Amino acid sequence: MKREGSETVLELDGIYKRFGDRPVLRGIDLTVKAGEVVVLIGASGSGKTSLLRCINLLNIPDQGRITIAGEPIFDVEEGGRDRLKLTPRQVNRIRAKTGMVFQQFNLFPHMTALGNVIEGPVIVQGIDRATAEKRGSELLDQMGLADHRHKHPAQLSGGQQQRVAIARALAMNPAVMLFDEPTSALDPELVGEVLKAMLALARSGMTMVVVTHELGFAFEIADRVVFLDEGVVVADGAPKDVLLKPEHPRLKAFVGRFHETADMLRPFLEAAQR
Amino acid sequence: MTFDFSVITQNAPLLWQGFLISVYYTVITIVAGMIIGLCVGLAQLTPYRVLRWLGRIYVEFFRNIPLLVILLWTYYALPIFMGLNITKGWAGFVALSCYVGAFYAEILRAGVQSIDPGQTDAATAIGMSYSQRMRRIILPQAFRRMVPPLAGQSIIQMKNTTLLSIITVPDLLYQASYISSFTYRPMEIYTAIGIIYVVVLTPLTLLARRLEKRGGLSL
Repeated sequence: MKREGSETVLELDGIYKRFGDRPVLRGIDLTVKAGEVVVLIGASGSGKTSLLRCINLLNIPDQGRITIAGEPIFDVEEGGRDRLKLTPRQVNRIRAKTGMVFQQFNLFPHMTALGNVIEGPVIVQGIDRATAEKRGSELLDQMGLADHRHKHPAQLSGGQQQRVAIARALAMNPAVMLFDEPTSALDPELVGEVLKAMLALARSGMTMVVVTHELGFAFEIADRVVFLDEGVVVADGAPKDVLLKPEHPRLKAFVGRFHETADMLRPFLEAAQR
Repeated sequence: MTFDFSVITQNAPLLWQGFLISVYYTVITIVAGMIIGLCVGLAQLTPYRVLRWLGRIYVEFFRNIPLLVILLWTYYALPIFMGLNITKGWAGFVALSCYVGAFYAEILRAGVQSIDPGQTDAATAIGMSYSQRMRRIILPQAFRRMVPPLAGQSIIQMKNTTLLSIITVPDLLYQASYISSFTYRPMEIYTAIGIIYVVVLTPLTLLARRLEKRGGLSL
């Protein structure tokens, strides 16, 4: 899966973010290369979801630099001076190079599955409806949802909804996919189908940044695991190093605590791989 | 004490005229109020502080002054301030529209704010602009939830048109008082007026309630 020396898709440099007077991110650097799968782990409140949401500016950092597929989308120096001064239109265009999948799916409830998937291509990219529908149907097929195209989200299970959400993000042909705890809101028996879809996506060469609590899955899918603690990167390396030979005491405690959970999820992962 | 309902049938044409005037003002002030409500409601939802404040001030102004005061002020005081002559019809139209517009604006604001912020996140993440998000994602969902309270407020609006009689717009209530002034039969007349409002508005209330039940379903 590794593509050594390939181009950089995502570059974060010195990202700071505070909510009120509580610092959440305290100088994060992160570089993701094309085809790489980076998994962000950390305790609740460690800043991993905030970091993910900063990448496409759903949260605006206070300071730092963000470059997506070679285009700077954010560059604010200490003191708050904006070096880029992009218009909202420019931000939206660059932001659309990322696809995001949310914990709560966030499908548009007033549209069908296919309607959700073609919304971005038709409305944002201006692609004609017939072409968008053809491509959208293919994506839903890939996600194993061929029979559910014309159903509304309320008629779908959580796992199905999340796979529609993945198809919706993919429809924009993103350079990188961002996953924010994509299986945390799912019933246990539905987790496997979503993880399986994500594994297939990773194997197809998609660049991915994944926030998850499921360390077994992280081990399986990640090229790199990044451990965040209190808004700083404490460990960044191959899954076997970070997860099996943790050095930092906080990481050691974290991995130990989740060991049991990871074991419990193994059967689902194995089922998903078959 | 004997009732003589022949005064109703004898003056039916007057009552019918009054009824049409009431319906006319109900409809035009609801339409104008919706337009005002849409503008003021959206103003309250923009990221621009000045617009938000203007919207807020409008709503609080018209919600917290009794409609009768607004109506009388528009009819008697506004022409003096503006130095122009406005007819009682225009005064009534402006007062009722501005008043109901404030309530519609609040319904719109509450409806939009009741939509899960995750919807905005998802729409933003696929690159949608503010207006695309509003038009395609937020407003269609919010409108669905707004139908029951809009129906309720519109029913109240029909009843509020009776205040027009104070500034001598010949609505249903005005005709009633006119008829009773020369027939000396206020009991029969006002009973009949009450019945007319009940007969017209009860089905609409039931319809609003049905919509409310359906609005509870998420789709």
